[in-house]
Amino acid sequence: MSAISTTLPGLRRRTVIGARHSVPGALSLVAMIVIFVIAAVNQPGILSVYGITLMLTAAVPLLLAAQAQMLIMSVGDIDLGIGQLVGLVTVIAATLLSTDPALGVLALVGIVAVYGLLAVIVQKRNVPSIIATLGMSFVWLGLALQLLPTPGGATPEWLGQLSAWRPTWIPAPVVWIVAITLVAWLIAKRSRFGTRMRALGSSPATLGRAGVSLTRTRVLTYVAAAVLAVLAGLVLASQTQSGDANSASNFTLVTIAAVILGGGNFSGGQSFPIGTTFGVVTLALITVLLGLINLSSSLQSAAQGIIVLAVLAGRIITERFVR
Amino acid sequence: MKDYGVTRALSGVDLVVAPGEIHGLVGHNGAGKSTLMRILSGLEKPSAGSIEFDGADVSALWSARRAESAGVRMAYQELSLAPDLTVAENAFLSDRRRIRSLGWRRAAETRIAAVLDEVFPGHGIELPRFVGELAMAERQVVEIARALCSEPPALLILDEPTESLGVDAMRQLYRYLHVLAGRGVSILLISHRMNEVLEHSDRISVLKDGRTVLTRAAADTDEDELLVAMGGEVRGESSRVHDVPESATSLGAGAVVASAALPGSSLPFQARAGEIVGLAGLAGQGQDELLDRLWFTRLSRRIAVPRRRAYVPGDRQTSGIFPLWSVADNLAVAAARQLARVGFVPRARRRALADGWVQSLSIKGGARAPITSLSGGNQQKVLVARAFATDAPLVLLNDPFRGVDVATKDELYTLMKTEAARGRCIVWYSTENKEVAHCDRVYVFRAGRIVAELAGADITEERVIAESFDEHQPTPARGDRGDRS
Repeated sequence: MSAISTTLPGLRRRTVIGARHSVPGALSLVAMIVIFVIAAVNQPGILSVYGITLMLTAAVPLLLAAQAQMLIMSVGDIDLGIGQLVGLVTVIAATLLSTDPALGVLALVGIVAVYGLLAVIVQKRNVPSIIATLGMSFVWLGLALQLLPTPGGATPEWLGQLSAWRPTWIPAPVVWIVAITLVAWLIAKRSRFGTRMRALGSSPATLGRAGVSLTRTRVLTYVAAAVLAVLAGLVLASQTQSGDANSASNFTLVTIAAVILGGGNFSGGQSFPIGTTFGVVTLALITVLLGLINLSSSLQSAAQGIIVLAVLAGRIITERFVR
Repeated sequence: MKDYGVTRALSGVDLVVAPGEIHGLVGHNGAGKSTLMRILSGLEKPSAGSIEFDGADVSALWSARRAESAGVRMAYQELSLAPDLTVAENAFLSDRRRIRSLGWRRAAETRIAAVLDEVFPGHGIELPRFVGELAMAERQVVEIARALCSEPPALLILDEPTESLGVDAMRQLYRYLHVLAGRGVSILLISHRMNEVLEHSDRISVLKDGRTVLTRAAADTDEDELLVAMGGEVRGESSRVHDVPESATSLGAGAVVASAALPGSSLPFQARAGEIVGLAGLAGQGQDELLDRLWFTRLSRRIAVPRRRAYVPGDRQTSGIFPLWSVADNLAVAAARQLARVGFVPRARRRALADGWVQSLSIKGGARAPITSLSGGNQQKVLVARAFATDAPLVLLNDPFRGVDVATKDELYTLMKTEAARGRCIVWYSTENKEVAHCDRVYVFRAGRIVAELAGADITEERVIAESFDEHQPTPARGDRGDRS
C-alpha cells in the first residue's frame, strides 16, 4: 500500500498538472475579466444584481448551445447546423408546444433521434460531420419556416416562468451558467462516457482496440449535444416569449468561436467545458461593452471579430511560452 | 494443458505457446508477425486454419471480445494510447474489470498505479498527466502496464516492448516477465533484439514469409542460426556493408558542414562533408535536442548549418508519412524544389525519381502503392529515400531504424555509406549501440552533454556503453544474466 501512495500524486501536484492542462482556456478567463472591468468602469451601474442579470441573460441559451458544440468538437466533429436547430426549437416551442404539447414533445424527441442518426452516418459512412450538419441546417431552417413563416407565436405559460425566476440576492443567469457548466464538466471530464468520448476524438483506433463501439460513443455524444441544443432553444423561447426561425442563426459560428476561445481545437480529443463558459461570457460581455461605448452598431460585428482574433493570437503566444 | 496454435493456409504458421513459457518470435518486417498477432488477439479472422485455446478448437468463435475474455493481452509497438487522455484514463479504457461508478477515476488510478509499481518500481510517471506529455520511454512503460491492467492474463503478447525503453525499465520488464511465466502465464515476445530474445525466452520461433521456419529451445540456438533462418542475406551483413568503396570514408573528412556548441559540453559538435557522425549513449540524453537544434536553427544562435537540410524522423506514424499519399508522392515531396521546372513539378520527373529509389532500395509494393499498404520496414525505406533524394548536404537521422528488420537495415546502412562517400554529411542518432560500427565518428551523450568523441578503432559497442554511464564507475552494463530466474 505504501508503494501505491508514492505513485498517486498529492493535491498540490495535481493542481499544478491541472493548471498546466487548462492553460489553453486560461486566456479567455483573463479576457473575460479585462472586458468586465472595462465595462464596469464605463458604466458602474452594471455592478448590481439587476445589471449583471441584464448583461448575462442572453448568454444562457448561447452557453447551452456552446456546450453542445463543445461535446461535438471534442470527438473531432463540428456542428454547422446548431444555430438553425435552436431557431427551429424556438418555433416548435411557440407553436406545437402550446397548441399540441404531446406533438411538440414528440418533435423535440425526434430532433434528438435525428442527431443520433447523423452520428451513425458520420461514423459508418465516413461522411464529414461538417457536410452532414450543414445539410441538416437547411432542413431545420426549412421546417421552422414551414411551421412559422414570420416571427411570432406564443410560448406555453410554464416555459415563460422559467425566465421569470429572478431572485433579488443573486443574478439568475449566474446560477444557470454555473449549473450548465457543472453539468457539461461532469459529462465531459468526469464521467466514464466522457472519457470514451475524448478517446474517440483523440485516437479512435485506441478506443476500438479497447473493445468500445465507436458508433455507440459517437451516437451518445451527438444525442447529449442535441439535448443541450434543444434546451438552448427552449430557454431562448422562454426569454423572447416567441418563436423565430432566424433568432439564433448567428449561434453556429459564435458557439464555435466560444469553444475555440475556451481552449478547444478542431482536431478533437480534448474538452474544455469551463473554458467554453469563459468564452461564451467573454463574447456576451464584448457585445455589452461595445454597446456601452456607443460604437456604431454597424461596426460592432467587426470590433467583435477583432477582439476574438486578438484573444486567439494571445492564446497561441502564451501556449508557446508555457511549452 | 493449455495450447495456442495458429495455422494459416496462405503461409503455414505453426506456433504453439505452452503455459508458463516465454516464447520468442523473430522475423523480418513483412514476415507476418503483425498479422499473426492480430489473429491471436481476434482483430482479424484467419481465412483458413485453426486456433486452439486451452486445448479446445476455437477458430470459429475467435473474436476480439472472446480473446479478451480468454485473457489474451497485448502491448503494441505502435503505441495504442490516446495522447489527450491521462495515464489513468487510458488504462481505464482497456480495463475489462467492473469499476464503481462513483469515484471511478480514483479507483482507475489506484489500479494502474499498482501495476506500474509492481512491474516498474520507481518509474516516476504521474498518473494525472496526459500521455501525450510523456517521453517516448515513459509511454512505452505505460503501454505495457496498460496491457497488464485488467483481469489476470493467460497469454501476454509483447510487440517490440523494449524498443524505446531505458536500460532500467528493460531489466524490470524482463524480471517481471519471468515472474509472470512462473505463475503460468504464457508470453509471446516479439523483438528484433536478438540478444534479449535469446537470453529471456524458453523457446524461439522464426517467422519468414508468413511461415514458421524454425522453433528451437533458446538454449540450443544462437544469434547466427536465427539470422540465417530469418533470411539468407543476413549472413552477409558485414561483408555487404563493407562492400562500399572505402575510398571516401578513408579519404578523411572534407569541410565542416555543421557545427554546434552545446551548453555545458567541453567538446564542440562538428560534422564534416563525407562523414557519418553518430550520436550515441542512452536514449533521451540530449541527442534529440541536438538534432532539433540542427533542424530548427532558430532555436539557437550557436549553431552553423547549411541552408538545405534533410531529416528522417524516427516516429513514422506521427511525423513521417503522409498516410493518404502514394509511395511516389511521399518519396518526392522533399525533393520538389530540385525537381521543379518554373515552379511546377513535372509528373515524369517525379515518377522517374521515385522509380529509381523504389528500385534501388527494392521497396516492396512499387511507387504507385498507397504508403499505408507497405509494411513498417518499407515505409521507413521510403522516409530514408525521401531525405536522400534531396540535394541537401546535411542529412539528419533521428533513430530511424527502430523496429526495422536486419536485411532492411543492411540496405539502408549501405545507402548511407554510399551517400557519405559522395560527399554528404550524415548526422545519425541511434539507440542501437551496434549501429555505431557504421559511423566514422561518434559523440556519446550523457545528461544533455557530449561526454566523449570516438573515432576509428575506438568506436565499439563496449566503449559507447562504458561512456554512457557515469565515468567514476565503469558499469558492467553488458548482459543481465543474473536476472534470469
